[in-house]
Amino acid sequence: MRSDLSLVAQRVSKKFGLTLKQSLRYGLKDMARTFLGAGVSTDQLRKGEFWAVQDVSFELQRGESLGIMGVNGSGKSTLLRMLNGVYAPDAGHIQIRGRVAALIAAGAGFAPMLSGRENVYINGALLGLTKRQVDTLIDEIIAFSELEEFIDLPVRNYSSGMFVRLGFAIAALSRPDVLLMDEVLAVGDLNFQKKCFDCILSMKKQGTSIILVSHSPGSIWAVCDRGLFMDHGHVVVDGTAEDIVRAYDDQNSRNAVESNLRLSAAHTATARSDSPSVVNESLAVPSRGELQSIDGVICREFRILSRQNGEEVGEIDFREVVDLELVIDVYQVIRNASVRVVIDAAHYRNILVLDSYEQGLMLDELVPGRYSFKISLHANNLRPGAYTFNVTVISKHIAAHLSLWLKCATLVIRTPKELFFYAEPLAVVHLPATFTCQPQLAVERSLHA
Amino acid sequence: MPDPSSLVRSYSPRGTFQTPMRSIAMARREIYVSRHVIWQLFARDFVANLRQKILGYLWVIITPLLAIASFVFLNYAGVLNPGEMSIPYPLFVFIGTSLWALLMTTVTAVANGLIGNSDLIIRTNIPKIGLSLTGLANVLYNYIVGFLLLLIVFAFFRLVPSPWILCYPIVSLPLIALGVGVGLVLAVVGTVARDVTPIALSVLGLLMYVTPVVFNADLSNPVLRRIIVANPLTYLVDTPRSLATLGVIPSPIGYLLSCMLSLVMLWIGIHAFYLVQDKVAERL
Repeated sequence: MRSDLSLVAQRVSKKFGLTLKQSLRYGLKDMARTFLGAGVSTDQLRKGEFWAVQDVSFELQRGESLGIMGVNGSGKSTLLRMLNGVYAPDAGHIQIRGRVAALIAAGAGFAPMLSGRENVYINGALLGLTKRQVDTLIDEIIAFSELEEFIDLPVRNYSSGMFVRLGFAIAALSRPDVLLMDEVLAVGDLNFQKKCFDCILSMKKQGTSIILVSHSPGSIWAVCDRGLFMDHGHVVVDGTAEDIVRAYDDQNSRNAVESNLRLSAAHTATARSDSPSVVNESLAVPSRGELQSIDGVICREFRILSRQNGEEVGEIDFREVVDLELVIDVYQVIRNASVRVVIDAAHYRNILVLDSYEQGLMLDELVPGRYSFKISLHANNLRPGAYTFNVTVISKHIAAHLSLWLKCATLVIRTPKELFFYAEPLAVVHLPATFTCQPQLAVERSLHA
Repeated sequence: MPDPSSLVRSYSPRGTFQTPMRSIAMARREIYVSRHVIWQLFARDFVANLRQKILGYLWVIITPLLAIASFVFLNYAGVLNPGEMSIPYPLFVFIGTSLWALLMTTVTAVANGLIGNSDLIIRTNIPKIGLSLTGLANVLYNYIVGFLLLLIVFAFFRLVPSPWILCYPIVSLPLIALGVGVGLVLAVVGTVARDVTPIALSVLGLLMYVTPVVFNADLSNPVLRRIIVANPLTYLVDTPRSLATLGVIPSPIGYLLSCMLSLVMLWIGIHAFYLVQDKVAERL
């Protein structure tokens, strides 16, 4: 191991059994083989096992910080536990230099019956400090955690935020060489989080290497120089903090679309089995979404088409413009009709609307027959994320939808390479603008003012 | 001791076979390195056990006193009639049962040490052998208090113990070694299959009836007698008791062999523990 490195992971893998029964059988078998002196090869999958972490390699220099992102179940915590020596890897090799402090969950190792002060000694010992070393640190730890009033209270009455305060204070002030953190700071209040980040950055300057697992792009961006984005146990992106935040956002958008579809499919299935008469059996029902047809018109098809090749797309680049295509069947004459596309974002409904009348298309009378509408976007200012499309056909004279098709399509907008969107996860529209800065007052004057 | 900031730990799958000598060396080193933690956890278990109880630290002596009181009562009621004995029967039973309890509580504490500390195993990298031994805190303190009470019981019967009673704590150590050895095997096997420990404890409990704990070894049934003579636990229980009361060792060779057997069991336990401890964390 090179002297400037504090951590080396080489092709690290870990497997788990899918069911308890299976892992009981394999566990006993492995144990029996080990006791009898026969080798157990761990680097092959057996039936009913899967790789929780597979072939992960990276290096970490002294004072460097690495962020790990990934959706739930991507293997982040398992990797962190291997780095902390809790799980032995099934394949590969980990080397780690110096004292390791792990903040893996709030309140780990706290004895509920004992006071905060007594627990500081226990937790300090867990981090490798002697009683005398804790003696010299305890006032600082109590002051940092701001728990002066409650330090002699049994910790079972502590809130999760108080656990994190105490846990972080002990871990940080024990001055470890490597700090492993798993999404714990989110429990603290804003003031404490800010204090923690200040502390982490100053630890980093003093040479502590940091590995931070988080779902918060802000934390990763604030602390980490580099990052890994994990998916199904693999490292998919190994790059800058911005790169992995982008990969994580895209993955989340895709998952949002998928869970949205799954939920509505389940919903539709339930609705259909409850009351089969809701949808007219003679009509061909669209395969996705939720269709209500009230009166004489039915939405048949809705597609999002690429401008380049005219093919249907589910995922596009930021700012890429697309065409929308809607096909409806009309059974009765409709006067003063308009067709409308309403777009939902992941967290908000009805964020944008495209209405034929608003956009200048007059449909005075639609006689029975099949109609196809094409809606060409001039610009696309949607921020990266997942969006859901709903279409409806209405008539000016009837104050209700003639046909309503919810969730007829979904679209993922990928994060761009040249811009970094981090500021507001709830924002949905990007307004391109130019920022300039001009000093209005000289520094001396502003100080005197 | 090396500077902790330059120490390089490395983690890799266990592929090569580990010799029993190496297991012992690792156990020694890990316990030495983590002695502060083990001490803090000892103290934690001891203090937390006594908090939120009206009588607090009085519990340290209440439990054993009650045990003695029950024997005194039985003795006065005339229920206990073991026949001719060179020492009072209640004294015989008190020493026998406390030695047997020492073995049982040691096995139980060590066997449950890993499961009881699963929170720490999953979130920290304290050596697992240290965690399985923290349960011994209460065993050891019960042992010390039990020894002091033994002196009180002697006083109650107006007997003067043999001066060899000072060796009593030392000659009963093999029981602890045996208990730790069995407990360590159960600790690792028990994390994979949770019913192994209760089964083993029940079987161990049955062994009390072929060990002279509450009765004398001089049985008239020759088969039972032969079993008792062949049972190593016989010597581990009988020797401390005879030494404390009469100042003699009934069978030095039997005791010596049993001691060696206990040490071998301790070794087997430590070796088994190190062979499979890597597989423990993911099964808690």
